[in-house]
Amino acid sequence: MMDAQPAEGFVTADGRKIGGVVMEMKNITLRFGGVVAIKDISFDIREGEIRAIIGPNGAGKSSMLNVISGFYVPQEGEVIYKGQKRPPMKPYEVARQGIARTFQNIALFEGMTVLDNVMTGRLNYMNTGLLSQAMWWGKSQREEIENREVAEKIIDFLEIQNIRKTPVARLPYGLKKRVELARALAAQPSILLLDEPMAGMNVEEKEDMSRFILDVNDEFGTTIALIEHDMGVVMDLSDRVVVMDYGRKIGDGTPDEVRNNQEVIDAYLGVAHD
Amino acid sequence: MAAPSQDAGAIASIPALLDRNAKRFGNKPAYREKEFGIWQTWSWAEAKEEIEALALGLINLGVQPGDFIAIIGSNRPHLYWVFPAAQMVGAIPVPIYQDSAAEEMAYVLDHCGARFVVAEDQEQVDKVIEVQDQLHQFEHMIYLDPRGLRKYDHAKLHEYAHVQAMGRAAIDELTPELTARKSKLAYDDVCVMLYTSGTTGKPKGVVLSNRNIIETSKNSSEFDSLGPGDEVLAYLPMAWVGDFIFSIGQAMWTGFCVNCPESPETMVTDLREIGPTYYFAPPRVFEGQLTNVMIRMEDASKFKKRLFDKYMAHARKVGGKILDGESVSAGDRFKYWLGNLFVYGPLKNSLGLSRVRVGYTAGEAIGPEIFHFYRSLGINLKQLYGQTEASVFITQQPDGQVRSDTVGVASPGVELKIGDNGEVYYRSPGVFEYYYKNEESTKSTKDAEGWVATGDAGFIEPDSGHLRIIDRAKDVGKMANGALFAPKYVENKLKFFPNILEAVVFGNGREECTAFLNIDLNAVGNWAERHNLAYSSYTELAGHPKVLEMMKGHVEEVNASVAEDEMLSGCQVHRFVVLHKQLDPDDGEITRTGKVRRRTVDEKFADIITALYDGSEEIATRTEVTYEDGRKGYISATLKIVKAKTVPASAPKAVAAE
Amino acid sequence: MPEQLLFAMEVILNGLMAGVLYALVALGFVLIFKASGVFNYAQGVLALFAALTLVGIMEGQVPFSHLINAIFGTDLHHFGWEIPAIAAILLTMVVMVALAYLVNHYIMRHLVNQDPIILFMATIGLAYFLEGFGDLMWGSDIKNLDVGLPQGLNGFIDETTFNAFGYGFFIDNLDIVASVVAALLVVALVIFAQYTKQGRAMRAVADDHQAALSVGISLNFIWVMVWSVAGFVALVAGIMWGSKSGVQFSLSLIALKALPVLMLGGFTSIPGAIVGGLIVGVGEKLFEFAIGPMVGGATENWFAYVLALVVLVFRPQGLFGDKIIERV
Repeated sequence: MMDAQPAEGFVTADGRKIGGVVMEMKNITLRFGGVVAIKDISFDIREGEIRAIIGPNGAGKSSMLNVISGFYVPQEGEVIYKGQKRPPMKPYEVARQGIARTFQNIALFEGMTVLDNVMTGRLNYMNTGLLSQAMWWGKSQREEIENREVAEKIIDFLEIQNIRKTPVARLPYGLKKRVELARALAAQPSILLLDEPMAGMNVEEKEDMSRFILDVNDEFGTTIALIEHDMGVVMDLSDRVVVMDYGRKIGDGTPDEVRNNQEVIDAYLGVAHD
Repeated sequence: MAAPSQDAGAIASIPALLDRNAKRFGNKPAYREKEFGIWQTWSWAEAKEEIEALALGLINLGVQPGDFIAIIGSNRPHLYWVFPAAQMVGAIPVPIYQDSAAEEMAYVLDHCGARFVVAEDQEQVDKVIEVQDQLHQFEHMIYLDPRGLRKYDHAKLHEYAHVQAMGRAAIDELTPELTARKSKLAYDDVCVMLYTSGTTGKPKGVVLSNRNIIETSKNSSEFDSLGPGDEVLAYLPMAWVGDFIFSIGQAMWTGFCVNCPESPETMVTDLREIGPTYYFAPPRVFEGQLTNVMIRMEDASKFKKRLFDKYMAHARKVGGKILDGESVSAGDRFKYWLGNLFVYGPLKNSLGLSRVRVGYTAGEAIGPEIFHFYRSLGINLKQLYGQTEASVFITQQPDGQVRSDTVGVASPGVELKIGDNGEVYYRSPGVFEYYYKNEESTKSTKDAEGWVATGDAGFIEPDSGHLRIIDRAKDVGKMANGALFAPKYVENKLKFFPNILEAVVFGNGREECTAFLNIDLNAVGNWAERHNLAYSSYTELAGHPKVLEMMKGHVEEVNASVAEDEMLSGCQVHRFVVLHKQLDPDDGEITRTGKVRRRTVDEKFADIITALYDGSEEIATRTEVTYEDGRKGYISATLKIVKAKTVPASAPKAVAAE
Repeated sequence: MPEQLLFAMEVILNGLMAGVLYALVALGFVLIFKASGVFNYAQGVLALFAALTLVGIMEGQVPFSHLINAIFGTDLHHFGWEIPAIAAILLTMVVMVALAYLVNHYIMRHLVNQDPIILFMATIGLAYFLEGFGDLMWGSDIKNLDVGLPQGLNGFIDETTFNAFGYGFFIDNLDIVASVVAALLVVALVIFAQYTKQGRAMRAVADDHQAALSVGISLNFIWVMVWSVAGFVALVAGIMWGSKSGVQFSLSLIALKALPVLMLGGFTSIPGAIVGGLIVGVGEKLFEFAIGPMVGGATENWFAYVLALVVLVFRPQGLFGDKIIERV
């Protein structure tokens, strides 16, 4: 079913450009001791698309996201990023390669302001060393201003101007999620990984978040890979969906294809609707 | 700086004022807007260039003299520029409330037959697209913020910046046409059309001429010596006549700077950064700010709270007098100076009001407590009384003659008279031309001599010459025993408690008065938190026995105060309920400007009103609500009917003939 | 002016100077605590170790000479050269950075995400290890440290105050230098933490490890950096205290003096450390001056702790610490 899409990229019905494959997971297997969390899974992520990984709890989707972001190193298989095989790396090295992420349980710098949090997303764009910062204050100030501009555009985009100077700890849950998204976006990532972006939200917040995810993809052309167990949301958002169950891949394709896949219906939808 | 005094007759239109300002004030800031965290500034000369580029672009798009151009969006310089740009090409700007639902918008757009719409962003564009099939004359839409709109069909859509670019590109070809159209603008031509959000019926299009706007702006600017050095923060809806007069009329007349906030949520920060010298806010904004201060003080350390209480008490004693220029002892002055150093100054600064020279409130009566709080801080807050039909100003309070219970003396150029039924009438250069496509209403509102009925009942105090408003003329009624029934008077007293957001009093033609109350979720929620009351929803909090107890206290306090006024002592509230839902414009219970729609409330809550009079202890009810996304649902609750103590009135008095 | 008042003023001035030194040590604690959540018990020993190393390098001492002599029967003590103070300070700094790296590599990075008490225990172990290691490396005798800082009575102040009040204030030059250096250090640290890229990364790591990783911050790099900075602060404190009262074991006990300072100021506040230091310094000197004679003196030994205790009763988070909010 993936063969239906040309390798060099195409334009979707609603006018977005989908490019070639930016990341490919090849036969990934991840074990924790004797437990197999991910078993021989392969799939790819194309430039500019919204790719979802779904599955019931314990299906291994969080593990998959952690493999992509370098928090886990798989025992078997290859991660091919931008055409090159990725050697085992630390999470911060993966981040520096242009893969930004959010966390299911929100990992923000609680004591810092929203602006400072978003600015940490720009750290990799600040090249001046400590000594040269001391000696060439002007140059590092310019660098700071350039990065602040990027941060402000994102703050404006996600409509969090009013809390710019508020310490994150004081914000309600839904806003924290948005700040976390802002920080990830500030890194101008090649791939944005969202770990259950709607978890714990009410209907209205979910709608807001969906809108922002679509807008981000649309406005910046950001490639987005997200995991989520809220089926309805995923089907509306994504271009293609990988379905996992017990660490295996049981489906892969457009939302419509996945919806009609008997194995998916049995394993997942049946469970979700009882 | 003194206001420019010159013959208004020499300048016949807003575009002419713009030309004058660009010449006279050239590089002085005219507009500021905070974007991406930084205040962007346009000088008068720059603004003129932008506006003319837009005007040329509009000609290029095919705008003809007499066309209506609707403007939908929040306060932003680019949207303010549409007004003079439209006027320059002979068109009539029609601002529309940006929070109106699509159908409300459809009515207005269809009524004026707007050929062009300028919309702020995707949200507004979507609303217009949704209803465009009902709009026969609609042709083109210009949008300001391109976000999310790239993939839309651009046959009828144009980006604001592109329209300007096209105008600039065609500057040589189109400038003669623009000059010709500008030179034709006359003093009695239509300047703007504003829709009133009436409490009943469909909105009416109030047509105001250049004369109305320019004369009114000139008179009111001189009244308060507004000058080019003043700063305002433009944050009230652009479709409201007040914002039009402040941010366009007076700004153009005096050349002061209009500052636009970053977003509605950042208002408080922006206010602090700009520090306006001329500031307008409806009472609910002042109330909200005061409530926030009080909540913060509850959480402050004991020392700070003591300091605050002590100095505020002093300010209440002498602050107002100092502001009014009355004599105050040197010791009190020194203490006030100290208080200013430690309390009032920092407080005003954090409210963003430290530079306010002239502040106004209007629209509703303001609580005397609230009013005096601000004045005692040394903020020159005054009241005015106005209407869209009057280009705002009917009466206002001169410096030094400020009281919370009057709305001031007739504004310059305004004549007042009181009708036989107590209704207030006025005549002024600001009186509107006519209601658009509604001759009948025009006739019933404005008589042949130019007198306009306000719809409010009031009287002029014989000694001071100040006007006092009692209530809406049609809402002032009589109780069964013939005593005067003035619900607004009591409602306002109730609403002066921070815990009460809204109140509706009943009693017309009945033996006793009763009331609906809405709690203020902010204030009561905070109170509940401090008293360790657990609640999971608005409904639950509103029905909490302790909350009812507190409300009962408030009502009884009001009863005592109502009883003091012999004429109105029959209006004491005998029984009340605390409503299970907040009165909401989405449900049609209040208007978008926050006025109660009595008839809707009467119908919708008929069962509760009945229960208030039939001796029930409680009433189970179910109410339809509309969620923000337009879906409907129901809230069920059992409301307790609370009896409040009343002060025995001497004897029911009949309405005295005034 | 009455004599008592003049004495008191002199006492206060001296107290301020002493307070600056307390603040300096406390600052080292706060930095590490803020950045890694570790209460570094070894901070005082770090200062001792830095001072020992500095003296050793300056005097051309052979490190581990006792050990070497014992094993190989040699009689090495000195290389026979002396190194100028500036160069020695730089070399010591290199040693401190190396130490920071080793501490992180062999201890701290294995304890990521452990309970604070475990990390605290680790630093106690580190303190004892360093103490012994320092002895072994440089010997346990008391040493003089002279990096050329001015010492003794400041004649200018003495003379001016004498001319003004008829009573000359006794202020030690070293104290003045220490205050100036400490003030500069504090400013530099604040700028570092608030305005530099590394400072921002450091605050990020202190706040949330996972989040820091996800924005591309290397935890190990930051921790080594933080321990290096703490080592640097320890070196400065070591130089000041060492110059004043010699490099000896008791130097590591100033760490204990920093405890009441931290309780006063709060464990997470840089300004708190400074103000806390000053309060303790002035407080204990004044108390000794005013009340000491009545209770038989030596109040300086306990005054700071009692003061801290009193503060703890009323403000458990310290005067400047983050407010502890626990809603019921």
